[in-house]
Amino acid sequence: MEFRPTLVAFLCNWCSYTGADLAGTSRLHYAPNIRIIRIMCSGRIEPTFVLKAFQQGADGVLICGCHPGDCHYQEGNYKCLRRYKLIQKYTQQMGIEKERLRLEWISASEGKQFAELVNDMTKTLLQVGPSKVKGTLEVEHLKK
Amino acid sequence: MEEPRIGVYICWCGTNIAKMVDVEAVASEVSSMPHVVLAKNYKYMCSDPGQELIIKDIKVHNLNRVIVAACSPRIHELTFRTACEKAGINPYLFEMANIREQDSWVHTDRSEATKKAIDLVIAAIRRVRFHEALEKRSVSVNPATLVIGGGIAGMTASLEIAASGKQVYLVEKADHLGGMVAQLDLTFPHLSSAQQIIHPLIQRVKNNPNIKVFLNTQIQQVHGYIGNFNTTILQNGNESVEIEFGNIIAAVGLKPFDPVVIPEYGYKKIPDVVTSVEFEQMLLSGLIQTSEGKDPRNVAIIHCVGSRNKKFHEYCSRVCCMTALKYVHQIRAALPDANIFEVYADMRAYGKGHEEFYAHTTHKQIIFLMFDQQTGLPRIRKAGAADKCNIIIEMDELLSGISIEVPVDMVVLMTNMEAHDDVKEVVRSIGVSLCGNQFFIEKHPKLDPVATTTGGVYIVGGCQGPKDIPDSVSQARAAAARILATIAQESVPVEVTTAQVNELLCCGCQTCVRVCPYSAVSYDESKKSSVVNEVLCKGCGTCGAACPAGAIKCKHFTDSQILAEIEGIMSLSYKY
Repeated sequence: MEFRPTLVAFLCNWCSYTGADLAGTSRLHYAPNIRIIRIMCSGRIEPTFVLKAFQQGADGVLICGCHPGDCHYQEGNYKCLRRYKLIQKYTQQMGIEKERLRLEWISASEGKQFAELVNDMTKTLLQVGPSKVKGTLEVEHLKK
Repeated sequence: MEEPRIGVYICWCGTNIAKMVDVEAVASEVSSMPHVVLAKNYKYMCSDPGQELIIKDIKVHNLNRVIVAACSPRIHELTFRTACEKAGINPYLFEMANIREQDSWVHTDRSEATKKAIDLVIAAIRRVRFHEALEKRSVSVNPATLVIGGGIAGMTASLEIAASGKQVYLVEKADHLGGMVAQLDLTFPHLSSAQQIIHPLIQRVKNNPNIKVFLNTQIQQVHGYIGNFNTTILQNGNESVEIEFGNIIAAVGLKPFDPVVIPEYGYKKIPDVVTSVEFEQMLLSGLIQTSEGKDPRNVAIIHCVGSRNKKFHEYCSRVCCMTALKYVHQIRAALPDANIFEVYADMRAYGKGHEEFYAHTTHKQIIFLMFDQQTGLPRIRKAGAADKCNIIIEMDELLSGISIEVPVDMVVLMTNMEAHDDVKEVVRSIGVSLCGNQFFIEKHPKLDPVATTTGGVYIVGGCQGPKDIPDSVSQARAAAARILATIAQESVPVEVTTAQVNELLCCGCQTCVRVCPYSAVSYDESKKSSVVNEVLCKGCGTCGAACPAGAIKCKHFTDSQILAEIEGIMSLSYKY
């Protein structure tokens, strides 16, 4: 069967999720393999979320936040950036290719950029191929 | 936890969703999922009958969780939360799946879009099981209002609020009030005096005891939240004043585009090529004369300067066409024998009385010349010594299809209106976003055009998008009414999706204290645990992500909820 990459995206509510909505209101078309999860701020991203997505079968994980300096919560995107670098390090050690995890800044007005980003990442994932860690990771489901 | 009883509703949104997503297939696919009591589809879930359907089902089927798959939660989450509340269940036991903006509108393959919708609904079903009832919280409202910008919009809003006896702080960065309107001579379409509109308004503002005007003043970062904001304003560059207020109106307006960047027009290089703002000054002075002090015999007015052209600004500035027609009346009155050329790309007369004004103006013995705004801008050059005019406009006239030269003595450039240079600092300081054209983004373009996504912050006038005086005044009064309603309530509901520390799990490392951008988390020595000040917390979740002990719960975005959502979101695409 033809490989169809699945892409899970975590979008901050204020900039990126609104940007993705704008792509919709502008009727910009992009690849349908993306599944978007809304979070309030990219600073909310925990390594667990990324790992969980890979465990569940994502071929790629995309995190989007406000542009530097534009964070609705002042500096959550900077915290996300630091955390992203760490997550990137150990997902690679786990054998997850670098291209599978991406952090990008999308503002509320960048519907077009969002649509292009999804298509671009989909294209990359098609080249990288199916994720090898599908179903092999153990990610504890924390209950608080 | 009580047994979840979930009701799922798939909205058609007329054909907006239904034509790209098989709504019946979505409903039937999820109807047999654990805890799903019913799954229905309906034409317009946000309509009254749609909401009634939910309310009735909650009561009849004893539902305790509701999911609506429809538009973006940014549009109707509040609508459906309110419906849930009406039916007696906590509004936070509701979840929305975005199958319009992020599905039916962006995909072209119906089966793919339907699959995606099913995934999104399954994710919502899994997530909503972990939702918890959250208690509403409200805070008191400081009755003072900060108005940024002393143009017609800012002054109108200030007067409206001050009329109810409430305090207004009106901050203006220039050394005078009046904004753009103060620079105009007459207004369209009635040719009444702009000065007679703006000067009495300025006097009323200055004389109103409830309005404190700060001229030469810049605002700094605004802190706080709806009902309870504060900031330091910097007057004359050095005197800082602390002010506290409950609501904010941004009315910073726009500025004229500088046509120096359009080489074809030779602005600042060729004498007597003036902008519309410069021409207004000429009209105010009562004399339309060339730089040599002569009456111009031929005047050309060029439309869409910097507008509707991707090289400059793609948008239409809305006020220039009517202003250009207004000039015909003024030039004709001052120079009865002058030839007047309206050099235009398209004539836009959208407003009340505008089309009539256009029709009326065409009888003033003027010549309309059309050009192609994308490929054929007119080219202005200085006339030679042998010519009987100062300036020559070369253009490819679109309607006749011939290239012509127009001899004139004066050219008026109808310049576009664009954002101020410091607009980014302004939006950052008050927590508002800018669209691609650098206009302030409203909460909803149709349903909530003067509010923003930041509670208590409103946008009026030109900064929200180019507009004429009536539209600016309407928005100003609308925002003032919204604020007065909040003040009259004395309290306002605030975000309850704050962070919460589990004191038993907290190890006392204080990472959360360091990462919180609002100083909302502190360490309680006696409890040996971090504590969250719920009033200061804005619910970004950064502390929750940083906590190494997993002791912080970000309400409504808990680990369980997000992980459950991830578990569901690839249900159809990938099963292992």
